[in-house]
Amino acid sequence: MLTGLVMVMVLLGLRLKNKNIQGYLALAGLAAALLLAIGADRTTGPIFFGTVEVDPLSQFFKVVFISVSLIVVLAGLSRYKDSPAQDEFYILLLLATIGMMVVSSAVDLLTLWVGFELASLSTYAMAAFDRERKNLEAAMKYFIFGSVSSATMLFGFSLLYGLTGTTKIAEVAAASMEMMGPATLVALLFVVAGFGFKMALVPFHMWAPDTYEGSPTIVTAFLAAGSKKMGFVAAFKVIFIALLALRMEWFMAFAVLVALTMTLGNIVAIWQNSVKRMLAYSSVAYAGYIAIAFVVVGAVNNGGFDIDVALGGIAGSLMLILGHAFSKAGAFIAVAVVGYMVLREGKENSDDIEHYAGLGRRAPITAFCMLIFLFSLSGIPPMAVFWGKLMVFMSAIHAGLVWLAVLAVLNSALSLAYYLRVIMYMYMKEPAGEKILEPRGYVLAMVVALVAVFYIGLFPQAFVDFAYSAAAVLLH
Amino acid sequence: MIPLVFYVLLASAMFAIGLYGLLTQRNGIKLMMCIEILLNSAIINLVAFSAYLPNVNGQVFALFAIALAAAEAAIGFAIMIALYRLYGTIELDNINALRW
Repeated sequence: MLTGLVMVMVLLGLRLKNKNIQGYLALAGLAAALLLAIGADRTTGPIFFGTVEVDPLSQFFKVVFISVSLIVVLAGLSRYKDSPAQDEFYILLLLATIGMMVVSSAVDLLTLWVGFELASLSTYAMAAFDRERKNLEAAMKYFIFGSVSSATMLFGFSLLYGLTGTTKIAEVAAASMEMMGPATLVALLFVVAGFGFKMALVPFHMWAPDTYEGSPTIVTAFLAAGSKKMGFVAAFKVIFIALLALRMEWFMAFAVLVALTMTLGNIVAIWQNSVKRMLAYSSVAYAGYIAIAFVVVGAVNNGGFDIDVALGGIAGSLMLILGHAFSKAGAFIAVAVVGYMVLREGKENSDDIEHYAGLGRRAPITAFCMLIFLFSLSGIPPMAVFWGKLMVFMSAIHAGLVWLAVLAVLNSALSLAYYLRVIMYMYMKEPAGEKILEPRGYVLAMVVALVAVFYIGLFPQAFVDFAYSAAAVLLH
Repeated sequence: MIPLVFYVLLASAMFAIGLYGLLTQRNGIKLMMCIEILLNSAIINLVAFSAYLPNVNGQVFALFAIALAAAEAAIGFAIMIALYRLYGTIELDNINALRW
């Protein structure tokens, strides 16, 4: 239903002569879709021959995806104003959003894979959008890693289909619970590897920093805040089968993977001079925090802890996904403003931290928004990410994974080091140039993200309830 | 009728060949060919399983996969052509502005 609406907007956009209007049209379509996603009935049964289902989980992720692409469209209004290719930008963006929404609703491996590919293919093209050297290199790396991951995933799906004789996720889960064996394990390994690439978990993270640094900055915002979360929703749907089906100790391997992911992401982020690359590594670290939920579910399943612990863990990671989406998207758009400013001065290396010197005076709105987003990302209350981190870390402690929780908290503290470095450059250093006029689209996008970050942080109850009802879908 | 296990062995061998190529080759076009081999190994699996199971889900899945593999190749070649125009080569070792 939602996808249909967005589709209409895309088609309408194609027929229009005035290309500047298309951005606004995309905006209107997304806003309508967002309202529908929040307001619509959250539990219809399976539709389209039982391949798609609307439930609280899918609606939660749809809200995230639509809001992120709303923010990116707002920024695109400034970035691609009067550009001849802007219609393609909005169409690719909307197609990618549709793909993500399909993934979040899919209850069949076929729909899941098709949605996944739709989103991936559109984002490959978006990463190369400006056709500069860095863009193309980023797109090439993203394309190769991305298509290998989707091929790996497809291979895993084909084995699962062969073993269980069905492509419905729930039936696959039930069947593989009955006939657990090495073959099922191998199939699931392929699937996990495929999703691991998209989620940028160590050791599948190598593409992420390169792609995030090289892509046009507002596309990076979309990749980090949207496309990556698609990997998580797909993983939530499929890996949980694995976790519930396998009553083995292999969740410890996952715990080590998660610990490595957050530590490596944070440590490498410290010595980055490119702010964009630093945010990319912090995004890798976030993949680790979010994936703590998988470990918690594995531990609960294995150690006989209360099911509420698992529920809290998943709800926490959903809150983390929500908060991270807004904060990261906002932060990358602030980077885009600086890039715009630097390019106008005709200088190179637009995302180098030197250009942030005195940003508090050169571009006060951008600097303030960046400050808030960075504080939010480091988990300081009352910003959005705080609640997600709190819930995830608490659930890890309740599941007996105290060492993991301690490591995660230490990592959070570590991340403050490199966020503070940017903030110091923005407010403590002498400005390197004149005050600039911040483009309106970017400012609007940042303000929307800012309001969302504060609103979720100050009134988390409604969102937490939503996250719990979404988590309940997975653990029914 | 050929036993199912031969099909699965063929698909696994193709997957291994594709993966080996991805790890050893440095030419953009060769990498694309390896990716296609990976996808096709999964498609063979799907069709073979479907022939031995009482439903056609696998064949439907295979058709979707073939269509999407074509779309993926189109996007991949578009990126490679753009790279070639800018760098004059698709030896990916020479394309390394982004690191660490």
